[in-house]
Amino acid sequence: MYGTLAIAPRSIRDLAPVVGEEELAELDRLARPLRGLRILNLSITAFGTGVAELLNATVPLMTDLGLDCQWQVVRTAEEFAPVNRSMYMALGGRHVTWSREMADVWQRYNAMNADLLTKDFDIVVVHDPQPAGIRSFVDERRRTAARWVMHCHLDISSAQENVWLLLRQHIEPYDAIIFEMQSFAPSDVQAHGIEIIRPAIDPAGPRNMDLSPESVAAIAERYGIDAARPLLCQLSPLDESCDPMGAIDVYDLAREAVPDLQLLLVATVVPEEPLARASFDEVARKAMDYTGVSVLSGLNEVGNVEMNAFQRAASVILQKDLRRGFGLWVSDALWKERPVVAAPRTGLLEQVIDGQTGFLAESTEEFSRQVVALLQDRSLAARLGAGGRRHVRENLLITRYLSDYLRLLGRLTGTSGKVGR
Amino acid sequence: MLGSVPTTPKSLQDYAPVVGEEFVQEIRDLAAPLAGARVLHINATAFGGGVAELLGSLVPLMNDAGLRADWQVIRGSEEFFQVTKAMHNALQGMLIDWTPHMREVWLHNNLLNAQLFDEDYDFVFVHDPQPAAILGFIAELRRHHPAGYWLWRCHIDLTHAQVQVWDTLRPHLEGYDGAIFTLADYVKEDLGGPRTFVVPPAIDPLSPKNAELPEDVQQSILARYGIDPAKPLLVQVSRFDPWKDPLGVIEVYRAIKREVPDLHLVLIASMAHDDPEGWAWYERTVRRAGDDYDIHILSNLNGVGNVEVNAFQRAADVVIQKSVREGFGLVVSEALWKARPVVAGNVGGIPLQIVNGKTGYLVGTVEECAQRVLSLLKNPEKARAMGRAGREFVRDNFLITRYLRDYLRIFRELRGIEPPRRESAATAARVLD
Repeated sequence: MYGTLAIAPRSIRDLAPVVGEEELAELDRLARPLRGLRILNLSITAFGTGVAELLNATVPLMTDLGLDCQWQVVRTAEEFAPVNRSMYMALGGRHVTWSREMADVWQRYNAMNADLLTKDFDIVVVHDPQPAGIRSFVDERRRTAARWVMHCHLDISSAQENVWLLLRQHIEPYDAIIFEMQSFAPSDVQAHGIEIIRPAIDPAGPRNMDLSPESVAAIAERYGIDAARPLLCQLSPLDESCDPMGAIDVYDLAREAVPDLQLLLVATVVPEEPLARASFDEVARKAMDYTGVSVLSGLNEVGNVEMNAFQRAASVILQKDLRRGFGLWVSDALWKERPVVAAPRTGLLEQVIDGQTGFLAESTEEFSRQVVALLQDRSLAARLGAGGRRHVRENLLITRYLSDYLRLLGRLTGTSGKVGR
Repeated sequence: MLGSVPTTPKSLQDYAPVVGEEFVQEIRDLAAPLAGARVLHINATAFGGGVAELLGSLVPLMNDAGLRADWQVIRGSEEFFQVTKAMHNALQGMLIDWTPHMREVWLHNNLLNAQLFDEDYDFVFVHDPQPAAILGFIAELRRHHPAGYWLWRCHIDLTHAQVQVWDTLRPHLEGYDGAIFTLADYVKEDLGGPRTFVVPPAIDPLSPKNAELPEDVQQSILARYGIDPAKPLLVQVSRFDPWKDPLGVIEVYRAIKREVPDLHLVLIASMAHDDPEGWAWYERTVRRAGDDYDIHILSNLNGVGNVEVNAFQRAADVVIQKSVREGFGLVVSEALWKARPVVAGNVGGIPLQIVNGKTGYLVGTVEECAQRVLSLLKNPEKARAMGRAGREFVRDNFLITRYLRDYLRIFRELRGIEPPRRESAATAARVLD
């Protein structure tokens, strides 16, 4: 048996005030032919942002829509952890040593986990590539009884070749492979069906639920943020892939025009493993040179409600860079009607539409100029903020994600359209 | 010099509404002859854990009291931090393989940090074992004890320390002018040299975890997790391991649920990513909860932070801390401060915080715990009275202002300054009676 998780039931009706009745009726219509469908979601961890957060939000909602939706976590041991980490880095395009022994460990853990699949499912969705080998090792009967979906939440377009070669032989036989964006797929991937499902935010979650301005100020002030002064905020992993050091440079330049400016850098990922910790410490050390710069993270027990308050307290949201992935935390900010100044990277371009939901910028000077423009022109900031919320409502809410999923499940089970093989 | 940690300025005056003008004045009086004294805190990390949390409040308050306090963190290789983690565990009673190489790594990194130390202070606090050998190396490099009083601040329970590791550490503590322990019971008898002091830890009533919470935030958080504020709620916030007995808490809840069918339980796990044992216990707890969705199992790794912990503690009818082994267990004071009655294991520092029958109950078994919790649920008047008493007890004994005062007294004692005439009744000594 796989690892069991604590998932509380939840009603899709909770989203009615946000998305409206029409959208819920559409979800219900899509779900009706799929009622009772047995779906197993498998992931590598129950924790963290990204996959775990999406599953925490969507699994109970799918259940409420009548599907028999489960989420379980694969079993690993200490020996697997470094292999898992290396594979993750290699798929993200960072060069790692990938030995024969590591490939063996990876296959062995996938084979062991395949033996743990002891119940019957109609659909198995494997999230992230690390447990993707399971399908290859599952006994014939269970493999053919289910439709297999690989949901890849990573940008693996520049994956290290030997790791990709290993992975592709295991994932290409899947019935469908989901990527967040077309460009996140390796160019040579061959599959029965490539699906594009962009990630989404949960407007009712603790990171996005409404907070009154008084509460926002009260929470921010407990962390030393002056709610009366202008605030720049970047909420992202604080490693070099998001250029937090560059965010400090932008702040430093912008405060020439806006002297009482503050900058808050919040790590969305708790920097626990040594590499993440080292880059976090480097950012924290640089921040020490500025009285107006604060660095916070899960290490200060900052949680979702705090992140919610910080984004709401911000005058402008920064996203200085994004080497990989979608950068969904930017949508959290747009949903709160915050104007965003971001680097023109693939995932960010889906969220920040220049002049409509925010501004795009590349150099420190450009970033700083846009930030100052937004700080000095409140109506411009408000217009972009409103545009951001509209854009997220139409494209990046959990209901849109559910509807994409239901349509895919319909195609795979032949309850609507054709299965992709 | 070592890496300096910036802190958010704090004003003592902000604490006057909490602890009273008189107490704040007492601190100012104690601090007056120490004005301008240079104080340095040295520890291993600026983030995470109780020590960093305490220093984040204490350092700016010392500055506001007129001293010149600074906080610096030592530098070290990755290997050093692995070694000191093992060392820390061994000193708390875990058995590890303490090799000569580990000892070398610890000493070498302390020497490197000693070489970076280039200023003089009036009082230097060295926190916990990681940087403890720094004083000896500085004295060696300078050929004399560096200026000022050097205090080793021990935040951990050394009672069951692994002998080899303690024997490595002990000689490096002998040159200190003072050693400060959390509990009288934790003072090591065979530590010759420094004078010993006892200062129990404290909470900051104005921190995000303890400060008053806007009503709408509290309501939204409860609603988000499907908790009806009208229904009775039990809460435990702890790591998930055998010593915090999360499974026992579920047994307690089940025993009461038979009589109080609309009871809810919130368990908040505080976990580390690199802790497979914590994950195993988390899962065991989830399995024990099964399909009972009135048991809510949350974790910091899913983004539950200070504000949510604050909200759940405030919403609880009874807070449980069913530890079977505990360090100080400061989370008990956090709950008491929110005027919640607490039913907790009679271990570690918990009996110092809970006056049995007045601010809560000390218990051992599941049955005892269930019986006490049930009696409180059935008698809300009594629960409220206990909560109020708990808050007053924490106000007198476990707030950061008392902690600051204890340190100021130690400074004065070391310098031979007579105590001022007026002193408030509450003292750390009383807590230890």
